[in-house]
Amino acid sequence: MDWKSTWARARRGWREELRLYLVAISSLSVAFVCVGGALLAVTNLDAMAARWGESGRLSVYLADGAATEDVARIRTVLDALPEVAEVEQLSADQARAIFLEQSGGSDLDALPAEVFPASLEVELAAGTSRARVDEIGESVAALGAVTDVETYSGFFERLDGLLSAGRGLAGALAFLVGLCVLAVIGNTIRLAVARRRDEIEVMKLCGATDSFVRRPFVIEGTLQGVLSAGVSLIVLFAGFLILRGHLDASVAALAGMRASFLQMPIVVGMLLGGALIGAAGSALSLRRYLTV
Amino acid sequence: MPGDSHGKVVRPFAFFRAGARAEAPKVQRPVLVFEDVYKYFKKDQPTLRGVNLTVERGEFCFVTGPSGAGKSTLLQLVYRKHTVDQGRILFCGRDIARLKDDSIPFLRRNLGIVFQDFKIVKHWSVYENVAVALEILDMPHRLIRARVSEALERVGLEGRGGDRTENLSGGEQQRVAVARAIVTEPALILADEPTGNLDPHLAIDILTLFEEINETGTTVLFATHDHSLIAKRDHRIIGLDDGRVLEARVGLRSWGEGARERDMESPVHSAAPSSSGGLHAVV
Repeated sequence: MDWKSTWARARRGWREELRLYLVAISSLSVAFVCVGGALLAVTNLDAMAARWGESGRLSVYLADGAATEDVARIRTVLDALPEVAEVEQLSADQARAIFLEQSGGSDLDALPAEVFPASLEVELAAGTSRARVDEIGESVAALGAVTDVETYSGFFERLDGLLSAGRGLAGALAFLVGLCVLAVIGNTIRLAVARRRDEIEVMKLCGATDSFVRRPFVIEGTLQGVLSAGVSLIVLFAGFLILRGHLDASVAALAGMRASFLQMPIVVGMLLGGALIGAAGSALSLRRYLTV
Repeated sequence: MPGDSHGKVVRPFAFFRAGARAEAPKVQRPVLVFEDVYKYFKKDQPTLRGVNLTVERGEFCFVTGPSGAGKSTLLQLVYRKHTVDQGRILFCGRDIARLKDDSIPFLRRNLGIVFQDFKIVKHWSVYENVAVALEILDMPHRLIRARVSEALERVGLEGRGGDRTENLSGGEQQRVAVARAIVTEPALILADEPTGNLDPHLAIDILTLFEEINETGTTVLFATHDHSLIAKRDHRIIGLDDGRVLEARVGLRSWGEGARERDMESPVHSAAPSSSGGLHAVV
């Protein structure tokens, strides 16, 4: 197998059809940007779900006028649990102040401190399961001086549902865009191959084997795929940096995390996927012209 | 190199696959044999009907007949563009109809094929168009350069290797195609109406070029419907009409224009060459 000749023929193909290949790469890049964008959304939704899933909390509301000893006993019980990372006691005044700060509304200034019960805000260790959070909540609720325990399970269930739907939507979008990418790549490469069918015919009539004819086209298709994926990643990264500069503060406030770019395995996967799709697209498009 | 009965130099045949060795008796075999070959493109309407034909090594044969007679089909069966439906075709003693698809490239490497529409890559240079036949053989580039240069010299295009083929005249483009056909030194050259797109003067030039190639021992099958071209030369004529072979052993110049038209109309069923040199059918 003469790879030198194969490379020479592939280079010649690129040189002669450079304009067509640039058009092809730009079309493919747009398609890859769509796939990459969908993957970026899935990645960040996953990260958000993981972040929120791990941020387990409990609010233990204390009875009005709860004795300091009772509160201290509850804290001792909580501190003894391995899942509890931190316990913070909030008085009614502190709870009111925090509420007013977060709501930012002056209309609520009139609310008296009695409306806000004193509480123990319990931060749980990362990775604590929802079931365990509920168990702890039930145990603590049985202690004296506790009026109620909020585990936020309903909120997290709704959030999980929303994130799951978002992930599904992004995944379906990625799949659909992936199919479009395949169609675009197939047609683009088929067009490039069709323009060179006379070259294929000549080689076949001179006694070239199918693999001899196919090799440079597959190399060209592979390069097209890799370059398209690479260009799309650069475009996505630039867009990501620009958007993050504008939105990062709001995203961080809403989601409690910073937006992140595609992870390295996904980047490598996109490049390899581009190469594979380009190679396969070329090989498949060639089939009809090899029957000379 | 062995010589044939006409005193021409005939090179030993290359075989389909590298490494194959020809035994002495096989080398003496005809280059091409058609045995009762039928080809159907439409049911009950064969394009070729029971074609029997033998082409000896070093021969120059015109294949002629009206449009639709089966000239191109006859050649296409040899380079396996199509397969025979009945009968067999032996090339260098091998039944090419039985070749598997992956062996067809090795068959074609032993053939030089020239077409009416040249079938050259217009955006390639002259050198690239000729060299492609050798690149396929994985030949070293130094040798390719030497062989291409030699082939271009033989067709009168020495020093033109760097020219883009689309800038050449029709006659020059056909010379490039001929150079590509001969550069591998094939056992057999199939020329399918190679002068069809050329004016009469250029047609004679190209015919002469094929004759010069034939002088070096290469067998040539030259398909044409141009009787004026055939009449100018004394070569074996394989006439085709309605898929049947009508064969003349000598050129039209010897047996006359009138005989050509008369004899072409009615095939004569005979196994031996006619003593008068007229047509005889090998049906």
